[in-house]
Amino acid sequence: MMPRSVSGAGTASRAMGERLVAHGLLACTVVAVVALAAVLAVLVREAGLFFADVSPWRFLTEITWAPAAAEPRFGVLPLLVGTAQVAAGAAVFALPVGLMTAVYLHQYAGGRTARLLNGVTALMAGVPTVVYGLFALHFVTPTLRVLWPGIEAFNALSACMVVGLMILPTVTVLSREALESVPAPLLDAGLALGAPKGRVVTRVLLPAASGGVLAAVLIAMARAVGETMIVTLAAGNESRLTWSPFEGLQTLTAFLTQLGMGDAATGTREFQAFFAVGAVLFVGTYGIHMAGRMLVSRSVGRTGP
Amino acid sequence: MSRPAAPADAPVLTAERLSVRFGRHIALKDVSLSIPRGRIVSIIGPSGCGKTTLLRCFSRMNELVSGARTRGKVHFAGMDLYGPDIDPVEVRRRIGMVFQKTTPFPKSVFDNIAFGPRASGFTGDLQGLVEEALTDAGLWSEVADELDTPALELSAGQKQRLCIARTLALKPDVLLLDEPTSALDPEATARIESIIRALSPRYTIVIATYNRWQAARLSDMTAFLDRGELLEYGLTETLFTNPREARTESYLTGRTQ
Repeated sequence: MMPRSVSGAGTASRAMGERLVAHGLLACTVVAVVALAAVLAVLVREAGLFFADVSPWRFLTEITWAPAAAEPRFGVLPLLVGTAQVAAGAAVFALPVGLMTAVYLHQYAGGRTARLLNGVTALMAGVPTVVYGLFALHFVTPTLRVLWPGIEAFNALSACMVVGLMILPTVTVLSREALESVPAPLLDAGLALGAPKGRVVTRVLLPAASGGVLAAVLIAMARAVGETMIVTLAAGNESRLTWSPFEGLQTLTAFLTQLGMGDAATGTREFQAFFAVGAVLFVGTYGIHMAGRMLVSRSVGRTGP
Repeated sequence: MSRPAAPADAPVLTAERLSVRFGRHIALKDVSLSIPRGRIVSIIGPSGCGKTTLLRCFSRMNELVSGARTRGKVHFAGMDLYGPDIDPVEVRRRIGMVFQKTTPFPKSVFDNIAFGPRASGFTGDLQGLVEEALTDAGLWSEVADELDTPALELSAGQKQRLCIARTLALKPDVLLLDEPTSALDPEATARIESIIRALSPRYTIVIATYNRWQAARLSDMTAFLDRGELLEYGLTETLFTNPREARTESYLTGRTQ
């Protein structure tokens, strides 16, 4: 039998095909990189023009945000406080429920229950945020007004609760991943020491997964910071510096929706203010997201041999 | 469960026609053997022969695995370990188990050792108990000044000794060691082996090991498992020098059949 050739037309055409695939994949990657670069370029250019006019110190420390007023004020603090309030409030709702659901799914739920709850979680993650917003406006707020008649029609509490509902699947899924990353022998070791399961869960499993759970919360909070529709519909869009959950507020993203209404003329300081706020939002969400990812990578190996 | 009072060499653990299956996979088939009090018993056999499953039967750990079914009986000091009135949590306090993979909790050295006693509601001198357990596991001199150090910072050998100490803190009657040195270097292995020798005869020790020479070095009695069946069980010297079964001889000499 003749030995098979190791070169020839087949080899050359295969190599060319592989080069084409590699170039095609590279082109797709370049599209994403160019798009990101374009977004950043627009953001940096307009924000740069804004900060050439308004000092960053004034921007970050003044307590009034009124860019369209006759005497415009550019203190972003009310928007930052509003955003932090919604993100923290949402985490307060989502963390205990999401974490306990994750523990239940990981440790206690039978196969059928786990499948059902996973389906519900996936369904929740797929609900459009505008639907959540309508739910906040037409169900949560009226219910809250029965409990607290003094609460405003647009209020932070309703926004926090429903944004919490929106980030619940993220907290649940990522917390469950954190729990699953804890080696099973660690739990066996706890149980083999004659500890009841509940104690092993609270004293071994949760501390071992704490880094991943914290990362889950941070990543979910980054989503909450970027949330727009629910906040606009539930908390209104009026800028004021308040910590009261019963009053309305404005977040960074809610303010940015006003750009689409076309009230600000291109090239004006008011117009540029949108990009300054966008830059703050970008840096904030990116920072939170990176902190979360860093915690995830740090938590890997914490429980290793 | 009351503490048993029995003379040395009386069986402390007895398996009677013990079978375990995980779903469709049969891991143990009709295994019957007695573990004498105060002795070191090795369970040897090729990978997947059921060594770990047998060990886990003695501390009722298999029932934590979904789909596991155990049939037959295990007597512990005269009691049926799988009886309806037996609390598996209490069983695990009396029959301690150390695993192949080192499993320090993400806590300090002290809190690792104190974990079991605290879980069982120990109200005595915890400091003294921790020191005693670490001394018995040959670790006290190395960590006496670092009890607050995270256990994850210890070396691999120290971590395994910490896991042994953690189990000893419960003062169990039986110590089950599942391939305790398989992930360790020869020096750390020798250290653990000398600790095991020192712990006998205060504790009945059952070791699952793939290392037949370790079994020969350490144990008074050896059981040879193959494909879930107990092929041979007897004095270590007899089993190694004059095995009854051809499959045992093949395994011990490294020949495949």
